[in-house]
Amino acid sequence: MSSAAEKVDPEKVVLWAGEHEGHDVISTRTFGFWLYILSDGMLFATLFAAYGVLSYAHSYYTGPTPAQFVAPWYTFIQTMALFLSVLAYGFSMTALKHGNRAGVINGLLAASVLGVVFLGLDIHDVLRMFGMHITPWTSGGLSAFYMLTQVHAAHIFFGLIWMLVMIYQVMRKEFTEEVIGRLISLRMFWQFQAVMWVFIYVFVYLWGYMS
Amino acid sequence: MFTRKWQPLRWVRYVALAPLLLLLNGCATHSIWWIFDPHGVGAKASFDYMMIDVAVMLGIVGLTAIMIVWFMWRYHKGRNRGTYDGKWAHSTTIEVFVWGIPILAVGFLSWAVAINGSFAVNPYNPTVITRHLKPHGDPIEVDVIATDWQWLFIYPQYHMAVANELVVPAHTPVFFKLTSTAVTTDFFVPQLLGMIDVMPGMRTKDALESDSIGQYQGVAADYCGAGTSWMLFKTHVVSKSDFASWVHHAQQSTGNLTVAGFNRFAEPYININNKVEYFSQVQKGLFNQVILEVMHGRKWPLPMFMTENMVGYLKKQAAEHRA
Amino acid sequence: MLVNLPGPWNPWLGRLALSEIPYTNPILAPLFVVVVVLGLLMVAGITYYGKWGYLWKEWLTTVDHKKLGIMYIILGLVMLFRGFIDGLMMRTQQAMAVGPHASGMMGAVHGYLTPFHFGQIYSAHGMIMILLAATPLLVGIMNIVIPLQIGARDMAYPYLNALGLWITAAAVVLIMASLFVGDFAHNGWFGYAPIFELAYSPGVGVDYWIWTFQLVALGTTLGSINFIATIVKMRAPGMKWSRLPMFTWASLSANIIALTSFPCLQVAIGLVAADRYLGTHFFTAGFGGNLMLYTNLFWLWGHPEVYFVILPAFGMISEIIPTFSEKPLFGYVTMVLATFAIAGVSWLVWLHHFFTMGMGPYVSTEFSVATMLVGIPTGVKVFNWAFTMYRGRLTYTAAMYWALGALFLLLVGGLTGMMLSIPAINYMVHNSVFVVAHFHMMLLCIVYAIFGSVIYWFPKVFGYTLNEAWGKVMFWLFSAGTALVFIPMFMEGFMGMTRRLDWPFDPHWAPYLNIQVLGILVYVLSILAFVVMLYVSIRDRAQHRAAADAWGTSRSLEWLTASPVPFYNFAVVPQVNARDEVAWRREHGLSAQRASHYDAIHMPNNTGIAIIIGGLTFVLGFALTWRIWWLSLISLLAIIVMMIYRSAKGDPGHVIPAEEVERMDREAERTMPRADLPRHSGGVLGGAIAYDSGAAGEGSANLRGAPDYRP
Repeated sequence: MSSAAEKVDPEKVVLWAGEHEGHDVISTRTFGFWLYILSDGMLFATLFAAYGVLSYAHSYYTGPTPAQFVAPWYTFIQTMALFLSVLAYGFSMTALKHGNRAGVINGLLAASVLGVVFLGLDIHDVLRMFGMHITPWTSGGLSAFYMLTQVHAAHIFFGLIWMLVMIYQVMRKEFTEEVIGRLISLRMFWQFQAVMWVFIYVFVYLWGYMS
Repeated sequence: MFTRKWQPLRWVRYVALAPLLLLLNGCATHSIWWIFDPHGVGAKASFDYMMIDVAVMLGIVGLTAIMIVWFMWRYHKGRNRGTYDGKWAHSTTIEVFVWGIPILAVGFLSWAVAINGSFAVNPYNPTVITRHLKPHGDPIEVDVIATDWQWLFIYPQYHMAVANELVVPAHTPVFFKLTSTAVTTDFFVPQLLGMIDVMPGMRTKDALESDSIGQYQGVAADYCGAGTSWMLFKTHVVSKSDFASWVHHAQQSTGNLTVAGFNRFAEPYININNKVEYFSQVQKGLFNQVILEVMHGRKWPLPMFMTENMVGYLKKQAAEHRA
Repeated sequence: MLVNLPGPWNPWLGRLALSEIPYTNPILAPLFVVVVVLGLLMVAGITYYGKWGYLWKEWLTTVDHKKLGIMYIILGLVMLFRGFIDGLMMRTQQAMAVGPHASGMMGAVHGYLTPFHFGQIYSAHGMIMILLAATPLLVGIMNIVIPLQIGARDMAYPYLNALGLWITAAAVVLIMASLFVGDFAHNGWFGYAPIFELAYSPGVGVDYWIWTFQLVALGTTLGSINFIATIVKMRAPGMKWSRLPMFTWASLSANIIALTSFPCLQVAIGLVAADRYLGTHFFTAGFGGNLMLYTNLFWLWGHPEVYFVILPAFGMISEIIPTFSEKPLFGYVTMVLATFAIAGVSWLVWLHHFFTMGMGPYVSTEFSVATMLVGIPTGVKVFNWAFTMYRGRLTYTAAMYWALGALFLLLVGGLTGMMLSIPAINYMVHNSVFVVAHFHMMLLCIVYAIFGSVIYWFPKVFGYTLNEAWGKVMFWLFSAGTALVFIPMFMEGFMGMTRRLDWPFDPHWAPYLNIQVLGILVYVLSILAFVVMLYVSIRDRAQHRAAADAWGTSRSLEWLTASPVPFYNFAVVPQVNARDEVAWRREHGLSAQRASHYDAIHMPNNTGIAIIIGGLTFVLGFALTWRIWWLSLISLLAIIVMMIYRSAKGDPGHVIPAEEVERMDREAERTMPRADLPRHSGGVLGGAIAYDSGAAGEGSANLRGAPDYRP
């Protein structure tokens, strides 16, 4: 609101700020990545909505329902692999705080190996179901089941590529603001995928198994 | 403020007002204004709600427009009509009014039109029709199947059906069940009843009651492929005795409609000549059978590029003796 | 092959074949020749004048938010024209084909367009106007104005900004390609289930539609992340939330909507793609699919998208009216509240796009009331603009004309919108041309606001004002066109004419359809007036050199820096002291105060990676459309490799020394007319084009001022 009522002393008023150091690169990047996570969350929310609509009994047409093909213990191993991967990434970030390059690389390696385990289990599961002729083109319900789980798997796949790139960058580069910013973003991405997996595990696998 | 070398074409602005003359024309011929000339109970109710809504909103919007024009005239710079106050940017009183008036208007319209209206002309159970339903009245049931691109009206009570023409008795509630074979479209008779989606593998409902004998145009209101524009049907509201004789007449026709026959009927066909077909023997439960078949994946696929050359396609259609 | 593809396919070219190029089509073939000739002329011209290097260094690789914004606007204007041509074809077809006895030609029974062709035209018209004309125009203006309004040097992520532009451009190229190779979707811009399934749309049209949607959704999402981060993180000292200019507030709310809603679109369209490419059953009628799910998912995005385009337009009106009323915006706080109220409610109303689906009175009522709630904050906005003019001093510039025109269109749109929001009324007019006329009122409100703000902010970007007289001629012609096209359209709606009819069957509609064609011709005149306005303005630019405060009564921060804006935006970052900083400085006689001390400025480098990735996304979209799997895979891999390459390379940026900044600032000061002095005519060629950005090469700290500015 322009408050012209009070007189302004042209000698004392501050009109120019100059190059202030307000724009922290890491914080700006991290904020932007939070926004990306938000949009990714909406993506999963919409997929969950589609799955919800397409998980009534008649959506499975004459094909099997999740209760007939879901193996909760198998997926529990997947869950553990992903959680341990997040834990390993956490160790890597602790090492980053101490500037311990070897610790960062080892943590990232462990996280990516566990991620590969998760992905391998997922692919094995899909192949097992294909072997039983349970495919996305069987029914609308199964289409939604595959879409939700495999979009998550695709996120994991791209996360793994990113992790390999980061291992390479940590090995070859200094801990610059950019590298640290990327490591923080990747941590957010990875943890977010784990959180999404929790929802998938509970609502798709466990719920599907029980209903 | 600006150096004007060249006067703008001042007359141009009046061209903008010219289309308003059309409104005068609008009052003269009445029957072509289908929405303003409703003959169905539901359509009439909708029209009444529309008038309430327009009256309230026109009051607010009209006054606002007048106010804006007045401000534009009064505070024109250099004309010295109004006083200038370059600081004035807040007034609690005005704020209360600018929030209060829309809130009151929306509140009133929500109650009077949105809520009441939704129940009154709810296609599944329009209270404007059903509340007068006599316990031993004889409502007509019509099963509507939209194909690519024809309408089939089955009268299960009379075991007969008619394609591309709807005949209903006056003063009698008519209850529709609707489905489609291939794609989604919309069932609409502008002067009689509002739109309802017609979807494959699903069943929607609508209802109609009319007191005025006459002929009304029915259309497919939603795009459903190449034949949409030709997917028309005349709706005849006739007296009860005329209806009985029409039913009798239709029952004499030779065509019969089994599931297999229907599957042929439902193949893509552009109804370019307003063809009306009668079927005397309709297989029982055909409507539900069609829904079930579609749910089990039956499709009536479109031949690739069938409508690229419409004249060519229609020749082909005629050659297949389906014209 | 997971699905039974109708028609041939081969591993190298996918579905692509010579027969897919419509060289026999009497409309498209000559058009194709014209496009090729124009393209060749352009290439020849650029080569002749040796401008390839300039184009590449200054425009194609730029990360400067103003240049990207200009390119967004050019893209939007070109697509606005393309969409207008589609509209022209629809109007002429309907006017020619009306009634049972209308003659037909070129394979059509009535008129000159077959239904399939007509379907493609209105689908393309809708999609282009909303996503590839309105959205790029708004994003372009936001791009230019937001960093200036908040006192930032650039966007938060300049590279991402360029990426967003080039991905949007890829979407534009893809939809244009559908004109000349294959065909476009005929299912309307929002699509109907299950008509877009392979059985009912066997060609590649729907696939073009899918990938254009996906690309533009991706580009817009990237843009919205950037805008939000810029507004939150990059504000100048003193630019508190309570001082944020209204346009920035509106853009913030719009981009929050875009960020959260575009993923819904990506999922909806992605599932259509899964149905068509993988043979899944999301939206099929059989096999347990649910076709209503598509409509819900689409409009779950579709309605927020409507507010994504209208809110920035409201923001523009909120900037233009106070400037030319010489008063602050009335009720700033409630204006912000109203903006966010609209943004919030936008999520709760999607069902009103399909009341006729028959979801029962309870659900209908809820969404009906929610829809009407939008009317409250919108009404508040209209009243606030009115009371901004109250006790003001109104100058009727061309920009003000457009803003006021938008205001009146909003009133008409609001009146009809309140009718449509009520199910009982909606059943009668839902799929009729009444709806079409209603949302054109709203979208034209946006277009009016865009034209207004192009005129309003033009001097800031290019350093001279546009010709006022021709701007007003254009306004009146455009408004006449609007009235002539849309008043008859409202009336046709009351006559029960439904939308998307390639053959309007009732001869009673003929006079109204003919008047609409007349309106289209008046629109053509207004386009000519626009071209003349640009020509006259560029010719007379020296006499219309703009001061920093180009209008003399401007209020927000962007008017503090020089016109045209130097590439670094502000020579010295300002300290913000008030809500309308420029007005505040003017009122306190501080306008002439200049910074005594200059600092070195750090700016990002140009990069060619963004345009390369943009090109690759086009290749990806095209390959997927035609099911050329090897090319899809290669282009996807290439995109990932480019991203990794960019990540490895990073951007050190470059530094402009303080004395260089000072020299350029003094220079700009010297060549600019002062607001408090009469306009002098001895200006120089201005504009962003006249600037060499200094970011000439990557990693170069070498700086050259524009040649014209050298003493």
